[in-house]
Amino acid sequence: MTAAAGTLVTDRAELLRRTVRLSWVQFVLAFKATVREPQAVFFLILFPIMLFVIFGSVFPWEIDGTDVKLSHYLAAGIIGSSLFGTSFMNLSIGLVGQREDGWLKRLGGSPVPKLSFFAGQIGSALVITVAQVIAMLIIGIAAFGLDLPSGTQWLTLIWVLALGVAAGCGMGIAVTRIIPSVRSAPPVVNFPFIGLQFISGVFLNFDILPTWLQWLASVFPLRWLCQGLRSVFLPDEFQNVEPGGSWQLEWVAIVLLIWIVVGLALAVRTFRWDQSG
Amino acid sequence: MQSPSLTTMPPAISVSGVTKRYGPVTAVDGVDLEIAEGEVYALLGPNGAGKTTLVEMLEGFRKADSGEISVLGMDPADGSLAFRSRIGIVLQSQGSIDTYTARELVSAWSAAYPNPMDPESALKLVGLSEHADRRGKKFSGGMRRRLDFALGVVGNPDLLFLDEPTTGFDAVARRQSWEVVRSLSAEGRTILLTTHYLDEAEALADRIGVISEGKLIIEGTIWDLRRELGTSTRISWRPDPELDLAGLPQEASAWRRTESGRLTLETNEPTRLLRDLLAWSALRGLDELPELWVRSPSLEEIYLELVGAESEAQDPPLVEAAG
Repeated sequence: MTAAAGTLVTDRAELLRRTVRLSWVQFVLAFKATVREPQAVFFLILFPIMLFVIFGSVFPWEIDGTDVKLSHYLAAGIIGSSLFGTSFMNLSIGLVGQREDGWLKRLGGSPVPKLSFFAGQIGSALVITVAQVIAMLIIGIAAFGLDLPSGTQWLTLIWVLALGVAAGCGMGIAVTRIIPSVRSAPPVVNFPFIGLQFISGVFLNFDILPTWLQWLASVFPLRWLCQGLRSVFLPDEFQNVEPGGSWQLEWVAIVLLIWIVVGLALAVRTFRWDQSG
Repeated sequence: MQSPSLTTMPPAISVSGVTKRYGPVTAVDGVDLEIAEGEVYALLGPNGAGKTTLVEMLEGFRKADSGEISVLGMDPADGSLAFRSRIGIVLQSQGSIDTYTARELVSAWSAAYPNPMDPESALKLVGLSEHADRRGKKFSGGMRRRLDFALGVVGNPDLLFLDEPTTGFDAVARRQSWEVVRSLSAEGRTILLTTHYLDEAEALADRIGVISEGKLIIEGTIWDLRRELGTSTRISWRPDPELDLAGLPQEASAWRRTESGRLTLETNEPTRLLRDLLAWSALRGLDELPELWVRSPSLEEIYLELVGAESEAQDPPLVEAAG
């Protein structure tokens, strides 16, 4: 007879170790899949840099009424939106592709824990985000005189990025339920995301938007993510320009946390290895 | 091939009164089925007959609306770790494997199982050892299927689900796959095979079950199927269109007529009918009954008739089997 029933894991500590070990295996798979695709590398790293360099160079001036360069505002915005692009857009479309070609079904029939799979996906998004941030920092400092964060700002940067990735990934996983196929993803994912970028203070100053649009944008995490990032890269005086009169870091944390909870709850409840009943 | 164990061992798969509906459509309609441990069972049926839905319920991806399912003593819908550790699924994958090498993928997969095969053994079993470091995107269709196979078996499953495993294979590759399936079965694994190919079912399966319109309409060994369905002999010929068929044995209307003008009749007394037919032809002065053949139906004909398709073999096949 074949596989002995023997070594099946029942002890909780052993189960945890196994989940962690398999998370690493899944992380390696997810990461390899992303970096081995030249297209992905372009869109995830080079494209944001390109945008940054072009916009930063074309608009070398300061923001009205401040002595903060537009390029620095952009740095925060582009870091935020490329983070979101990786965690939300890239992840969800990747998952839909994997569902379409039977990869998820195969996973679902194997003893890989769901948690390990998602940890691998999130871990991969995290590593890529860090790479994006580093790339942006290098260009920002070299080309636009961006200042490195100091002291507690590093801490802020870290928690804002971490919460941002978690929120993006949670939503990315949850939204796969309503994306029927990779080809039909754009109207559900890409276009809304692009629209969201314009109203969340990525390319255009958030404060110049009409109030109702600001309210709309504030429902979503991207506006807050970018604001949190601005608190790291822009001088404190800029707070006055922000609609709330301050960085409102408490709100950044709260909104991101709410989206994390919503995203993960939806993800856990609605995620399917294959599309249908 | 092993004969199924009928005795005290609990069945590997037990399906009882299982029904599954999608809105107005009943995909699976009160199916009862038992597959013994160590058995190779082939599930046949046209597309849309319900076999995919049934198998997905057995794999744990769908929940039945009613009835009971027990696979390896567990409810697949629970999706327990114990369950998923003991089954293997071979399915056709497309793009996602492209970025990895066969070795990478099979190794990563084996890591999840409590008692896996050595990845190199799995690669060797499916004949991919030589190409194991090539990326999936450079694989031919046949190599991809081999990789699918390796991924399905590397976990050392007690129960293997094979979903149309040789679709798209050339004759050589098919034979090789069959050998692999046989060797897996010889190790005592239970295998549930869905296939469109009757020769495959015949070559591999201990028992065959035919699903049509959600129901299991017949089940048994090849011999059982033949015995139940194929006892009769068919006699067929193609008369000249001008020929007057008056007095034809068993009445001209009893013969089944195809568009091409061929007449076929099924009978349990072929010798008597032949004798009468030949006597009639002599009476009519016919030296030859054009395109005459006498044979028992092939498994394919039995199957096609069973699932309601118009039998293609009113005319003899291009490559005539002996007898």
